[in-house]
Amino acid sequence: MKETFNIPGRIKLLALLLTGLGVLAVITGFVTDQPRMWTSLLINNFYYLSLALGAVFFLALQYVTDSRWSAMFNRIPEAMASFVPAAFIFMIILFPGMSVIYEWAEPGIAERDALIAHKSPYLNIPFFFVRMVLLFSLWILLIFMIRRHSLNQEIVDGAAWFKKSRHYSMVFIFVFALTFSVASFDWIMSIDSHWFSTIFGIRAIISSLYYSVAAIILLVLSLNSAGYLKALNKYHLNDFSRYLFRLSIVFGYLWFMQYFIIWYANIPETTFYYVYRVNQPWTFLFYAELIINWTIPFLALMSDDAGRRKIVLIPVSIVVLAGFYISLYIQIIPGSIGELRIGFIELGSFAGFAGLFILIFMNSLSRAPLLTENHPFMKESLDHHL
Amino acid sequence: MKDKDIIAVFENDLDLVKAIGSLKESSIPVRDAFTPFPVHDVLKMLGRKSRLPYFSVMAGAGSIILVFAFLYYTAVIDYPINYGGKPYFAFPSFVVIIFLLTILITFISTVLVFHFRTGLFPGKEPEIPVPDSSDDRFILTVGVDEGLSGEMRSMAKEILTKSGALEIIETEQ
Repeated sequence: MKETFNIPGRIKLLALLLTGLGVLAVITGFVTDQPRMWTSLLINNFYYLSLALGAVFFLALQYVTDSRWSAMFNRIPEAMASFVPAAFIFMIILFPGMSVIYEWAEPGIAERDALIAHKSPYLNIPFFFVRMVLLFSLWILLIFMIRRHSLNQEIVDGAAWFKKSRHYSMVFIFVFALTFSVASFDWIMSIDSHWFSTIFGIRAIISSLYYSVAAIILLVLSLNSAGYLKALNKYHLNDFSRYLFRLSIVFGYLWFMQYFIIWYANIPETTFYYVYRVNQPWTFLFYAELIINWTIPFLALMSDDAGRRKIVLIPVSIVVLAGFYISLYIQIIPGSIGELRIGFIELGSFAGFAGLFILIFMNSLSRAPLLTENHPFMKESLDHHL
Repeated sequence: MKDKDIIAVFENDLDLVKAIGSLKESSIPVRDAFTPFPVHDVLKMLGRKSRLPYFSVMAGAGSIILVFAFLYYTAVIDYPINYGGKPYFAFPSFVVIIFLLTILITFISTVLVFHFRTGLFPGKEPEIPVPDSSDDRFILTVGVDEGLSGEMRSMAKEILTKSGALEIIETEQ
């Protein structure tokens, strides 16, 4: 029963249309309003990079913990991970826009700003790119290793390849924790180059896992409704929704922890970040971030029964993914262009990235059989029940 | 433990679940099941639904209000102290304490209510028909006071044997 994913023509056309819309939005953006275009490129790229890497983190967690229920879904995070090289290209494209997004990259700022001058041994453009290349090459290498061993499970029977996958998963989790912290410091936190928060890295890591679980849920459910992954039952959904529920609590915890410590210490060097954001015009988005990403999933998924229903799980996942955009928006825009404007440039380029992500995802998914039949836990996963 | 119960001893949970299924088909009431570890299917098939989670949610909501009221009373009304230039009613500083005390109060009250409702307390004599059910055996009891006629009684025994009961014990007065 080798089940292979065939790219449905209609979805492919839709994704191509979305990508075309995105290209149109990017062109409009560059012609009319360059700063907004650069920042929304960064938001979108970080958004989908987080989803891709968070998916690998999810996969690695399944391997490390010997999870049985999730074995049949392994291909989905693997396919999502294939977006990472594309994200690398987009990060390099950002180069001309750096001085718009990053205060410290403006030419001659170090002479006017003592603090940036002090930070310049770390925050300078050549070293920024060295780090970027290093991070991406590590991620791509590890994703390649995990993927290859997972495909090897297909050819050769036995747990040996599974053990290798598990080994690389451990390496990935360790590397990811360090590198993604650096990535979030570099690409997002350095926008407010005077401000710092030591909790920023773990927030980005948890966010990437949280939102990629929401994306995995949506992808699994849409594959299921297209006639694939027929073994999906309500117990799988229950486990997915537990991930979403717990991670929403962790998100709320970390959100509050960062706010709370800065609020309590009341040091002007760190409070200005929040003072700026709780005031107009950001007030609404600032509180919306917490309510959408924590309160709504927390209340909606509290009961086990609710988490087993697609009718609850799908809207919650969509709301949470919208919340991720707000979360990145409130972290990036106030420090870089400093005015609240959402229009065709932002939404169109987001749609474009979505289309590209779906195209790469489908392409990668169709290359290998959907189920790794020789995976040691496959039978248990297909027959998962509580 | 009621008198004249039929007690069936099983070796594994699958047989037990199968037996409950066939007993339900012949509409013979099952009194209770005793297993060494929780078996979700048994809970589902016996139609027992715990109301404890609802209690926990209520207790959690109640304790949020309770702890908030306590903090507001102490920090704002009864003994206001200015620390760090913060207002007396500084909500963020309440959140951590509300969070922790809500967990504590909810947890303790849920444990207490569970023990109260199940009649458990330290030093209580266990009410299990066959002590093996706390080790490696799965026990199913079929009651008689649910109006089990002699015919149904033998039918129940037959079903239990068929589903793979190791041994069937009948308690007499």
